[in-house]
Amino acid sequence: MNTEIPATYYRTQYREFIPGHPVLRILASFPIACFAGALATDTAYAATTNVIWADFSDWLLAAGIVMGVLAAIVGLAALIASRRAPVQPRAWPTVIGSVLVLVLAAFNNLVHSRDAWTSVVPQGLLLSVITVIVMLVTAWLGSASVYRGEMPYAGPRP
Amino acid sequence: MRTVIMKNRLLAGAAILALTAAAPDNFDTNTQIGPNPVLPPLQQYLFPPMHLAPVVGWKSSETPNAAPGLKIQAYATGLQHPRSVYTLPNGDVLVVESKSPNLDPVTRPKTIVMKWIESKVTSDGAGAGSNRITLLRDSHGTGKPDTQTVFIDHLNSPFGVALVGNDLYVADTDAILHFPYTEGQTSITAQPTILTPLPGGPIDHHWTKSLVANPDGSKLYVGVGSNSNIAENGMIAEVGRAAIWEVDRASGAHRIFASGLRNPNGLAVEPQTHALWTVVNERDELGPDLVPDYMTSVKDGGFYGWPYSYFGQHIDPRVKPQRPDLVAAAIVPDYALRSHVAPLGLVFDTGNLLPSQYSGGAFVGEHGSWDRPTLNGYKVVFVPFSNGKPNGKAQDAITGFLDDKGNAHGRPVAVTLDKAGALLIADDVGNTVWRVTPDNQSQANK
Repeated sequence: MNTEIPATYYRTQYREFIPGHPVLRILASFPIACFAGALATDTAYAATTNVIWADFSDWLLAAGIVMGVLAAIVGLAALIASRRAPVQPRAWPTVIGSVLVLVLAAFNNLVHSRDAWTSVVPQGLLLSVITVIVMLVTAWLGSASVYRGEMPYAGPRP
Repeated sequence: MRTVIMKNRLLAGAAILALTAAAPDNFDTNTQIGPNPVLPPLQQYLFPPMHLAPVVGWKSSETPNAAPGLKIQAYATGLQHPRSVYTLPNGDVLVVESKSPNLDPVTRPKTIVMKWIESKVTSDGAGAGSNRITLLRDSHGTGKPDTQTVFIDHLNSPFGVALVGNDLYVADTDAILHFPYTEGQTSITAQPTILTPLPGGPIDHHWTKSLVANPDGSKLYVGVGSNSNIAENGMIAEVGRAAIWEVDRASGAHRIFASGLRNPNGLAVEPQTHALWTVVNERDELGPDLVPDYMTSVKDGGFYGWPYSYFGQHIDPRVKPQRPDLVAAAIVPDYALRSHVAPLGLVFDTGNLLPSQYSGGAFVGEHGSWDRPTLNGYKVVFVPFSNGKPNGKAQDAITGFLDDKGNAHGRPVAVTLDKAGALLIADDVGNTVWRVTPDNQSQANK
């Protein structure tokens, strides 16, 4: 639009949106920890057949989904509130990746609602692995944007 | 990097497709009645197929439907979740009113959902006291009791009753209680003694403890159901469970008489061979037509598969570690009753009242399904017997517990004969005991 707007304008507006909003940042860290934790507890169940690990996975997935949905709601609200700010094209991998992670985890939670061994092995464990890979790729794409200077990470308000 | 995401999405998509693919339900369930049921390939689900029958109860004029030659009438109404019936030698009828101890801990989100679903299809004595035994006496032989008293109160989820001489045994969910009984008594206030503790809490998933004495009265047999669908609470929770115990009446000592029986109920002695028979609720969530519930004679020391396998050597993939040694020895049950019909009652017709075609055969109370798209059970069926073995297809004896909209007026549980030889049916959500007699009208027409 107007090329004369100072670069810091984009920075601050963008900070309000995806990675910067403090509440969103807190909420978004739960699914990451929970789904990574579910991979760990799934692995523990597969190795030991002790059902307490499968139960842990079930709770971790459910908690991650609840917090992830809350994060999505806050993110959407922030997006609407700052809709006058142009959306950075490089934000889309983060958005798409996050949605994909939530969808995968939701399916995974249904698989985990089965009883005993096949609630985890093989499909639950596979979905947990895929979920973590998608989280890693999404995070890598996001931080790569920051390094390239396309996605401001932090900066002083003007 | 985008291609990596796409690949992952494709992988996930393929996995999801594999998870949700399900065959249509055009299976002939009649192939699952009898000694050699057809067993379709097992399926596993994201959402297991479910169909619940909302409970609407009976209006005063409504009754279930009896097969031709039989007539059904309410024997007692307004009860508090009657699960079991037992006839004393003087003809008094004991109605065991019982509700779930509700001890299943919330181990994972699914437990919350399942408890909610269960609350939709069972009244479970809601609000009412229940957990007591009511005595009904028909002193004039009119087929309708004229006396109703609270026989024993403040029990702990009772189910089975057995009388040997003057010793009355009540199987609470956590113990076999002994009460002194004198013929003609209409209530017992004496404190019970515990003959044998039974597996109750801290988890108590299948809580109904069925009870029967052997013919000479020296032993009691008690059914102890599993603590889970398929060992998802761990095998440590299954110690002494999914089994029939033999209890020495003199000492209270017990041993496992038979095992691998997921939820054995309706223990009964077959009149010709004196063999112990039971009806068993098999496992859920392997498909609408797996695994058939069954009735079987129970062999001393026999293992019947649960949780490792079903109907002999059909492995259940949900159980790890497996036990090939036990699976190899697993006995194929005698007679399949169709899948998910939930048989909870069994009685052999040893009376002289019902039409001769029923003589010596077995009535089975089928509480009804939840784990399949179309309802199954919700009726009392009759299995003809000869020479101590089932001989022919199960026939509908009492139906009409469901209306044509799929609502449940009632659900049959335990069955027994009264002193005259009429069939009594405990209907828990219908809060009624039904009495089935010959239809003299139609017999006169013969």
